[in-house]
Amino acid sequence: MEEEYELLRQYLETIHPVGEDLWQDLKNCWHPVVYKRKTIFTAAGETERYLYFVIEGIQRAFFLGPDDRREATVIFTYPPSFSGVADSFLTQTPSTFYLETLTTSRLLRISHDTYQQLLEKHPDFKDLTFRFMAYVIKGILLRQAEIQCFTAEEKFRSFLARSPHMLNLVPHKYLASYLSIDPSTFSRLLATVKL
Amino acid sequence: MATFQSEKLLERLAADVRKILLQTEALKNIAEEELREKPEENSWSVVEVLAHLNYYARFYINAMEEQLDGHQTQAKPNFQPGWFGNYFTKVIGPSPDGVVKNKMTTPKDARPQAPLALDPKAELQEFIQHQHELLNLLKISRSADLGRIRVQISLTRFIRLKLGDTFRFVIAHEQRHFQQIDRVLKVVVGDAMMG
Repeated sequence: MEEEYELLRQYLETIHPVGEDLWQDLKNCWHPVVYKRKTIFTAAGETERYLYFVIEGIQRAFFLGPDDRREATVIFTYPPSFSGVADSFLTQTPSTFYLETLTTSRLLRISHDTYQQLLEKHPDFKDLTFRFMAYVIKGILLRQAEIQCFTAEEKFRSFLARSPHMLNLVPHKYLASYLSIDPSTFSRLLATVKL
Repeated sequence: MATFQSEKLLERLAADVRKILLQTEALKNIAEEELREKPEENSWSVVEVLAHLNYYARFYINAMEEQLDGHQTQAKPNFQPGWFGNYFTKVIGPSPDGVVKNKMTTPKDARPQAPLALDPKAELQEFIQHQHELLNLLKISRSADLGRIRVQISLTRFIRLKLGDTFRFVIAHEQRHFQQIDRVLKVVVGDAMMG
């Protein structure tokens, strides 16, 4: 139990210093929850009530197109990182995405109400959140550019350089979808590209 | 008789509802004619199944809301299901392999009348709406005593199920009919489209 919170603290410290005062409050506001594999913990149309912190397991958010187009995996989350449908959580509007566990997952979570209270009480936490969001935006924009400009092979290489462990942990159809390349192209690259 | 941890039960049921929502998304991509098509003369089309589920959803969601309205019970860590609750959930629930072993007769008032007049889009939309209402009630029920609040059932006024059992029963009933929808689609669409 202590271990989970220690992981959270270490993670937060990489973003912004966490004072003892703030930490005591944070610790009391995050609660553990476990979901078995392939559990949908937020559905499209539902408003995200929680921000999660991943202790164990892999999750993915996916989008379903309006017609018969295949679903798109938009993000993977794995420890140590936050999870949840961020835009829905922050705006408290219905989610456009489904969020599911790919493997059994242990998470800590904080409700939106509590999160808001903490933001108001601790300017430091507000700074931390702001900083984190800034990096998230940086990541999203970069990914957007890669999806549009990179060839399939470049996307494949760039992804493996960043997250090599994912290859063994996540079904390849989801990885292909995340990179927006054809599943058959993905297998071909896997067989031919020298890493 | 197995006892449930209340919170865990509510989480699992919410995940079940979200899975149903995901299955419903796939129905949006199926042509209206196919949703109206009966696999056999005496069986229901997909839209009839949805109308049937909507009939019960209207009844039970309303009945649960009535009981939750102004309730003053406190959440209990554990929930002990009732005998009737277990029995109904078991007989009405999905089968492990998708093959129905216990055929049932639908009460007359829950049979869709005039199937040709049913609008697939409207039924789908209503059904999705009900699932979100269910998710909301599951959330609200985290602060309720699942064993003490009792909800009437549609068959007889003489039995009232515990709130926790009503959720189990209603959701199991939907799962059963989603297996049916799967079977119907295999006939009218051909290959299985459902996940």
